[in-house]
Amino acid sequence: MPVLRAVLVLVCLALVPAPAAAASLDRAGFAAGLCDDAAGQVRAAEGLIQSAGELPSDDLAFAANLLGALAERRLACPADGALLLDRPGAPEGRDALTGLARAAPDARVPVLGLRQRAAVETARGVSALLTGPDPAARSAGLAAAERRIATVPAAVLDRARDAESDAGLKERITGLAQAAALSSPDPVRRRAAIAAVAAHPSGAAQARLAALKGDPAYAADPAFRAALDAGLATVSRAVAVGDGLAVVYNGLSFASILFMAAAGLAIIFGLMGVINLAQGEFIMLGAYATYGVQEAFRRLAPGLLDLYLVAAIPVAFCAVALVGIVVEALILRHLYRRPLMSLLATWAVSLLLVNLVRVTVGTQNLQFVMPAYVSGGVPLYADFVVTWNRLFAIGFAAATLVLTLLILRRTPLGLDIRAVTQNRDMAACLGLPTRRVDRLAFGLGSGIAGLAGVALCPIYSVNPGMGSGFIVDSFMVVVLGGVGSLLGTLVAALGIGGANVLIEPVSGAVAAKVIVLVGIILFLQRRPEGLFAVRRRR
Amino acid sequence: MAHLTRRSFVGAASLLASPALIRPAFAADTVKLGCLFSSSGTMANLEGRLNYVVRMAADEINGRGGVNGRQIEVLTSDPASDWPLYAQVGRQMLQQEKVAALFGCWTSVSRKSVLPVVEQNDGLLFYPLHFEGDENSKNVVYVNSPPASSVLPAVDYLMGQDGVGAKRFFMIGSDYVWPRTINKQLKGYWKSKGIPESAWREEYVPFGFSNFQTLVNQVRSFASQPGGQAIVVLTVVGSSIPDFLREFANQGITATDVPILGLDMVEADLEGLDTAKLAGHLNCWAYLQAAKSERNTKFLGDWATYVKAKNVPFSADTVIDPMVSAYDSVQLWALAAAKAGSFAVPEVRKAFAGLSFEDPSGYTLTMTGENNYVSRGVFIGSVNEKRDFDVLWQSPNAPKPVPFSPYG
Repeated sequence: MPVLRAVLVLVCLALVPAPAAAASLDRAGFAAGLCDDAAGQVRAAEGLIQSAGELPSDDLAFAANLLGALAERRLACPADGALLLDRPGAPEGRDALTGLARAAPDARVPVLGLRQRAAVETARGVSALLTGPDPAARSAGLAAAERRIATVPAAVLDRARDAESDAGLKERITGLAQAAALSSPDPVRRRAAIAAVAAHPSGAAQARLAALKGDPAYAADPAFRAALDAGLATVSRAVAVGDGLAVVYNGLSFASILFMAAAGLAIIFGLMGVINLAQGEFIMLGAYATYGVQEAFRRLAPGLLDLYLVAAIPVAFCAVALVGIVVEALILRHLYRRPLMSLLATWAVSLLLVNLVRVTVGTQNLQFVMPAYVSGGVPLYADFVVTWNRLFAIGFAAATLVLTLLILRRTPLGLDIRAVTQNRDMAACLGLPTRRVDRLAFGLGSGIAGLAGVALCPIYSVNPGMGSGFIVDSFMVVVLGGVGSLLGTLVAALGIGGANVLIEPVSGAVAAKVIVLVGIILFLQRRPEGLFAVRRRR
Repeated sequence: MAHLTRRSFVGAASLLASPALIRPAFAADTVKLGCLFSSSGTMANLEGRLNYVVRMAADEINGRGGVNGRQIEVLTSDPASDWPLYAQVGRQMLQQEKVAALFGCWTSVSRKSVLPVVEQNDGLLFYPLHFEGDENSKNVVYVNSPPASSVLPAVDYLMGQDGVGAKRFFMIGSDYVWPRTINKQLKGYWKSKGIPESAWREEYVPFGFSNFQTLVNQVRSFASQPGGQAIVVLTVVGSSIPDFLREFANQGITATDVPILGLDMVEADLEGLDTAKLAGHLNCWAYLQAAKSERNTKFLGDWATYVKAKNVPFSADTVIDPMVSAYDSVQLWALAAAKAGSFAVPEVRKAFAGLSFEDPSGYTLTMTGENNYVSRGVFIGSVNEKRDFDVLWQSPNAPKPVPFSPYG
């Protein structure tokens, strides 16, 4: 049957995209592919991934340029050829092949669907891995390629490994290349692949290994079975540990937010018995002060813009402390013997502040530039990702705690505040200016709320209404912790944050909130003075 | 001053203090239209702009000589994002101000609260939001799409070859009627397609919820389990949308790993976010700002001019679906009133059958005599790095709306 065989060979040749001995990219064809329909775009991008192992560097750079433009909607597709635009929607661009300037009226600009986007991202990653000028660029490329490693051929990883000069990156590539051999026919390579997958544990790695349990080799080959079981056990343990760490981290982060919101209130409520319903709005003002600092940096020192969050710390503290002192001097001072009136007055202040901000700045969410140290995150262990904005808040809360404790325990002002909190009349008899202490303490408590505003900028959307969500939570924390005790506030914040995070996965967020509230009510019935009661005489 | 007793003083003061809920503009020989959109409270940032769109549409019609020889006068109000207040203001508008039609409500809760009022007074409420369906009152005109002609096409797209071939679904919603009804219908739809119950998960959060770490962790582990591509169907509302997106991006999950279909997500929700890491997530509406049509270019220009001319406190270059739907509502009402030659609600309602209007989305809106639903086109938008949506897919024509979902 020589005829049939010849036909078969021909068919095979037609099907296999020839890995071209003298490989080079058909640039015109590639550009046309990217301007084709969805299927054509996927074909072009996947074709590039398949052949990337053999292509010369300038071809890869050319392809990466086009793919980047496509992803950013800067690739215009007139009836013939493809144009690179400088920015999306530009009226003219340069021809992708010749580099000549050309007008692009009414040219179609393709939008990537998710399937094409995945292929384009991987193709860009592969190009960056092979042609990136520095280890950081190649590492980012590897991370992008790793997301869909199953579509990346071994030749690409081999080439990248051979060319790599950075030792750490080389090791990562080697590990990936080994892991890719999970379904290799060679049992030794396969076992190495299992070990390589298990070396980087994650939920996805666990699923990949677990799928191998159905493989015929699992029943037939004891060595394979032992390797797989061992690998799976390692990964499962690591994933469990990672999940545990995530719970601890989530709890800590939620607790830090609660603590920041409640710390100022603990001082104000503890000292003066004033229920300050404007505390949430003080937090909002702190966030707006941060925005003001950002805008000032943008105008005056654009080069230092990344540092605005740090610079905002003293500004927000002072600005909000000032607002607090003004509110105290104008309104609360007259209402100390009437707690209900002071509650209503602070509520009025909160409404006033919200509407003032709404009228002067607007209702929209403010646009913050997020410096690298508060955006994104790093996968630390298994599926546990440390997100920088939450870490910032945790660190911020810890620093606030330490500083506030130092002020309360180690300074004359702190001594006065503690004396007035414990026995106001006796302190007055001894000559302490209790009114002045009140005012300073109110300023301190408000300033801490302003600091909370700074810490929350990278986490929450900043708008005039953002404060109202905090007031109930912070009162819960203060009352549970015990009035006037900063340590009590800390323990209560940790307790409520932890309980929420532990209950949420089991019963959902709505029920978690209910359960925590019921728990607090039951606890306060047994112990109305809270966790840590300050002894005082009234 | 003997006449100023304590009681009369209190009476006079309370009269003065009672809030002016409705702000009318007096003019003779006009026909009144009422707006029920909040300009304070949680919905202010979204609903507030619809007041201005209704005014803009009315100005446009008045410029053409009005309707049936009369000029339109628009009454705005502020129900303050307080759901029962919508009913109270609506009743006042219908009974005291005798408005010819009401335009209003964003959340389904507020619509449900106005519903009995318009039914008792035989009024007409134009509702500009896409919603959960399963309601068909002769007193409400549902200008936007029920799930069968918005959510289901989008989910179909994601499940198909052009999308990601989604097999598994993580539903996250705010805990109220719209998300729960939508999710119930989705589950019924997937069941009818033979998808097993183990392929989806459903989680709800309270209004204004913002600590999404645990949920994002759950999404990640859900997505890494075998069984096919997972997607998130997001029906949280308000400030929860940006907070969820931010956490999702910070944990390093991209649209190509797990795409989010945000059913209430509009451009305004992306304000303040770095969307480079969110590119590719989807929403679905009956209009997107990026829609390619001459009518859309004109509408965007008109809005920008109007914002500048009237000093409107909202962005001149952001137009969202409910704005266009509110504009369409006024135009549809004017067409129906002109066709009926009357402002009486029964006459106007009869005139709805066979009405058609070419709106900025590029589709032709049509109404039939069967119900008060409007046929709209379907757009699927994809987030880009400029806090905007690109048109990823759009339906070839405007599907006929199905008020009651067969899927539960």
